[in-house]
Amino acid sequence: MSENAITRRSFLAGSAGVAAVAATVGFTSFGAWQSAQAEEEATPGRTDTVHTLCNACSSKCGYTAYVVDGKLTKLIGDPNNPNSEGHLCARGYGYSQIAYSKDRLTDPLKKNAQGQFEAISWDQAYAEIAEKVQEIIASDGPEALALVQDPRPSGSYYCNRFIAALGSPNTYTHGAACNLSKVSGITQAIGAGDWVSDVENSAMTMFIGRSYCDGIRPSQVAALKRAHENGAYIVMIDPRCSNSTVFADEWVPIVPGTDLAFVLAMSNVLIKNHLYDAEFVAANSVGFDEWAAATENCTPQWAEKITGIPADTIERLAAAFAEAAPAASIEPSWRGAYGCAYANSGETARTVALFNTLLGSWNQPGGALLTSGISAGKLEDPRFAAPPKIEAKKLGSAEYPLASGSMGSAVYAGEMAKTGAIKGMFFYYSNMAAGYSNPEYLANAFANLDLMVVCDVQMSETAALADYVLPETSYLERSELPEFGGGKVPYVALRSQVLDVIHPNTKSCDQIFTELAEACGVGQYFEFTQEELAEAQLNTVGLTLDGLMKVGTVQFPEKAFVYGKQPTFNTPTKKVQFVSEACAKAGLSPYPVWIEPQDPVPDGEFRLVGGKQAIMTHTQTANIPELMNIAEEYGLMRPWINPVDAEALGIKDNDEIVVENDLHSGTSKVRVTERIAPGVVYLPSHYGCTVPEQHTAYNKGLRIMDFVPFHIEPAYGSTMSQNTTVKIKKVGA
Amino acid sequence: MTFEPIWGSIIAWYLFLAGLGGGAYVSVTFLRWRHPEAITMIRIGRFIAPIVVIVGLCLLMLDATAGFHHPLRFALLLSNFGSVMTWGVVFLGVFVVIALIGAGLCLAKRSVPMWLDILGAIFGICVAVYTGCLLGVCKTFPLWNNALLPILFLVSAMSTGMAAVLAVGVFRCPEEFNRVMAFKKLHYIFPIIEIVLVAALLFVTAFNASPSGYESVMSLVCGKHALVFWLVFVIIGLVLPTAIETWLLFFTSEEYERGKTAHIASFCSNAGVLIGGFVLRLLVLVAAMPIVLVTPWY
Amino acid sequence: MANYGMLIDTKKCIGCYACRTACQRQNDLLPDEAFIRFEEREIGTYPNVRVQHVPLQCMHCENAPCVDVCPTGAARYGTDGIVEVDQGRCIGCLYCVAACPYQVRVRNSETGAVDKCRFCTVNALNGTKTCTCVEACLTGCRIFGDLDDPDSEISKAIAETGAAPIAGDLTKAKIYYVR
Repeated sequence: MSENAITRRSFLAGSAGVAAVAATVGFTSFGAWQSAQAEEEATPGRTDTVHTLCNACSSKCGYTAYVVDGKLTKLIGDPNNPNSEGHLCARGYGYSQIAYSKDRLTDPLKKNAQGQFEAISWDQAYAEIAEKVQEIIASDGPEALALVQDPRPSGSYYCNRFIAALGSPNTYTHGAACNLSKVSGITQAIGAGDWVSDVENSAMTMFIGRSYCDGIRPSQVAALKRAHENGAYIVMIDPRCSNSTVFADEWVPIVPGTDLAFVLAMSNVLIKNHLYDAEFVAANSVGFDEWAAATENCTPQWAEKITGIPADTIERLAAAFAEAAPAASIEPSWRGAYGCAYANSGETARTVALFNTLLGSWNQPGGALLTSGISAGKLEDPRFAAPPKIEAKKLGSAEYPLASGSMGSAVYAGEMAKTGAIKGMFFYYSNMAAGYSNPEYLANAFANLDLMVVCDVQMSETAALADYVLPETSYLERSELPEFGGGKVPYVALRSQVLDVIHPNTKSCDQIFTELAEACGVGQYFEFTQEELAEAQLNTVGLTLDGLMKVGTVQFPEKAFVYGKQPTFNTPTKKVQFVSEACAKAGLSPYPVWIEPQDPVPDGEFRLVGGKQAIMTHTQTANIPELMNIAEEYGLMRPWINPVDAEALGIKDNDEIVVENDLHSGTSKVRVTERIAPGVVYLPSHYGCTVPEQHTAYNKGLRIMDFVPFHIEPAYGSTMSQNTTVKIKKVGA
Repeated sequence: MTFEPIWGSIIAWYLFLAGLGGGAYVSVTFLRWRHPEAITMIRIGRFIAPIVVIVGLCLLMLDATAGFHHPLRFALLLSNFGSVMTWGVVFLGVFVVIALIGAGLCLAKRSVPMWLDILGAIFGICVAVYTGCLLGVCKTFPLWNNALLPILFLVSAMSTGMAAVLAVGVFRCPEEFNRVMAFKKLHYIFPIIEIVLVAALLFVTAFNASPSGYESVMSLVCGKHALVFWLVFVIIGLVLPTAIETWLLFFTSEEYERGKTAHIASFCSNAGVLIGGFVLRLLVLVAAMPIVLVTPWY
Repeated sequence: MANYGMLIDTKKCIGCYACRTACQRQNDLLPDEAFIRFEEREIGTYPNVRVQHVPLQCMHCENAPCVDVCPTGAARYGTDGIVEVDQGRCIGCLYCVAACPYQVRVRNSETGAVDKCRFCTVNALNGTKTCTCVEACLTGCRIFGDLDDPDSEISKAIAETGAAPIAGDLTKAKIYYVR
């Protein structure tokens, strides 16, 4: 395939599939970018447009960046990108300003003997880090090294390859504080970590703890809206009346952490009344009878006492599901209520997958779709060959055997830093110290490390603890490897460089890890440029880098999901597993049964729940003035409590309150709202930055993880982010 | 969404000083009519009037940031005669010219024609009323959008203008101060009228169709502005001066009234009126809550 | 000559602030300068609660209080029914900010002048076809168009939904709300 600038022929010649895309999808067609080209040429030197991918969250929405005289102006979502569908969210627009942030890291930093950071050269940073890496390998072996990342296209590749090249199996994602339990639990049931609920074509879809309209991916918001307009019955199970309830027919508040009991009881109703798809279950599953017998007593009356949801509501919803099936499903959720929240999160996820099996909704229109993705094929060039296979197992894989192998339990890695089993840790774009578990515990754990290296764009809580901080270019100033994505229609999308590098001493992720690898003596695995790798990866699916840059996203409609396709379950039995041997081996019940989410709540205490707001992602966006201004103007940092609780405590809206437990105490203004269940306090998960270098975010709001003890979900390895209670009182009371 | 007051202390100073200046010129004219012999006190009024209004105008220009950066834009101020502010500019402009002529003639030891002083007093009253109308036409704020506010500001302006003349006069010309009984009696009734007007304003506003009227009043009488409202405005600004003056005018001998203690008490009373006058403007600015237009749809 | 207006369907608004931040980028506003503000209402009591989000911005009133009170003529009626602020005439006295019943005028903290929604459709360029808030809205709750043209999308939608200005006839506002 031609390496030169794209021609119509080279772009289309790759594969018949791409030709089909180009011919059928307007915005990916050659004609579209050709006219875009012409438009650019008509006004030379004024406005440049670049297709790129947003980095404000993990959705990586495609958009077109407009650059006027070198400065980023507007952002317009790319209609052909399946995540953005032509739109961006508030975070996307706001986070673009990270490039111009006054609080960017601009030089490599080293912590001196006084605990202060001082700027050093890249060469010095690489040399000193490499020396310590070699020392650790010499004394404790490469298994004493670990890396934690919030996955990004290039980051995933380079981080994993770097650690593998050093001989360590210990790479972790932020999953343990995000969706690890959900992915791992679902995998036990159906052999895949996720599905797509066909919300817009459904007769009924239930969301448990997830809000498309608060943790936004634009295409999902649009799908939910269409579902509402199409007359789908949408149910939100959530202690918080989220913004998604705008499109819901019913908000059903639930006692936090009891979703498992609720789904077990709905299953019980289906089984008891023979409302489930017996034919599908018989043909496609194992262990149904054992599970049915074991959950015989999980009646709606039983669940009412646990969940606070009236038994007749549970009966009614289960019956409505049976009526709507197979065009019905429970949405798989993400972090929500059981991504990493409680001692029963993994089992909740497993049960949700089993419930959809009872509905027989797999791959049915309006049901739960097991879609597939697209990935780069095998690369022939020996430079891209993987480093030698590592025999050692990832730390935590024995203790938390159900944790998804690609994610691992980063929280356990934190514990191993505390015990000394891990001596050197790298963090890429990960603010583990503030967001993954109890910050005080993690700070102590990381203090034990011989080497701590953080690569980020601003001084995070994690970076502040590091020995070395490596400044990355913002996502607008770098290109990355192609993003291969799944869904109803698989796609490939590309983050391209939009702006010239603003701070000359910052480097992109690929450059940093390549150079670091060279310094550590494993440069032989990185003897290629990112562009060469991207080109090679794209060639395997019939695309070129130049071609993809011109359009941003290419979809593969010939690989699109087809309704009614016989689902394949990649479990050990190749069937849906109502009984899982792996779960039994891991010390759990072989079939999911009720597990208490946490210790009983002491009298007068509140269950603490977190959750996203539409303007923020994790802790990474709070330092963006555009977004923090919104939080301040509208009091978004306030914890929510119900008016009944407020009255009992003599608290009025906007009063200053104390939130406290054994671990932490903090004050904040309060929001008294009908939108939260009594006995529950909702604390948004984005605030309470403790790093003075983040001038906008510093010291604003409470940090939810301060109130959460360090603990790990049995078998699944998640952080149990909501497994805690707090007391609330008025300041001075 | 939380509401931040649009105007703060700078504009409160401006409203206060503009009213005070107008009141000072009315004092001049009144003194010239009833106490033509109080020459020094009349002079005091002639200088206070233009000086405070000019200071107030400077503060206004400082607060109007965009104009402050581009002073030529102030030339555009006469563009819209539908705007109360434009009329205010006219009143202030004419008033400042009259007051400066008056002060200039006085400095040159030449007599000021009576018609000029009458005109000055009329424009002084216009300026004082304007400061109330400026806020009064803002429909969004129940505390402002009523006919009582301009009257309250007028009364307060007269009261503060006279208080300023008396407060300076009591030290510069105690003899004249002792003799201007009619002036002092006129001055005495203003805080009493003000008490009535403030009570009426709060009642009317609290019963405004919008809850924000009630909120504004509550923030004054028992909310976050309550301490300043009761202690500084009501006690220091209204009750104390009325009590002191009542005592001096009706319960002391004429001899005592002319003594040093009485003069100090009188100064304190007038200082209280001035403090109260400023705090009134400030409270009216910061306590006014806007009507919330969005109501639930059941 | 057109008479531009907008329709906002609050039944579809999820209160996500995307319109506000998109507008900031499109119009190159300062971080603390936003042309769209929001009111949130809770309807009912727990657990029978409904949420309503109402975005507010310059209503381009036919009887605009800002134009009435502006002493310098900076606030004025422009072409096609769009209320403008001439940044070169504004002294920043904030009288219009106080007079606007919708509280949607903001001072630019750098220039000191007052600004507000410009119905940026009129200078839509380079990839935008209509107001940025209309294009950015994730749920399509906004329609922009000519109120005087009975065949325009907005006129039809107003007729169909019974949308009305937020404060009735108060200022003859030209943003219509479906609620």
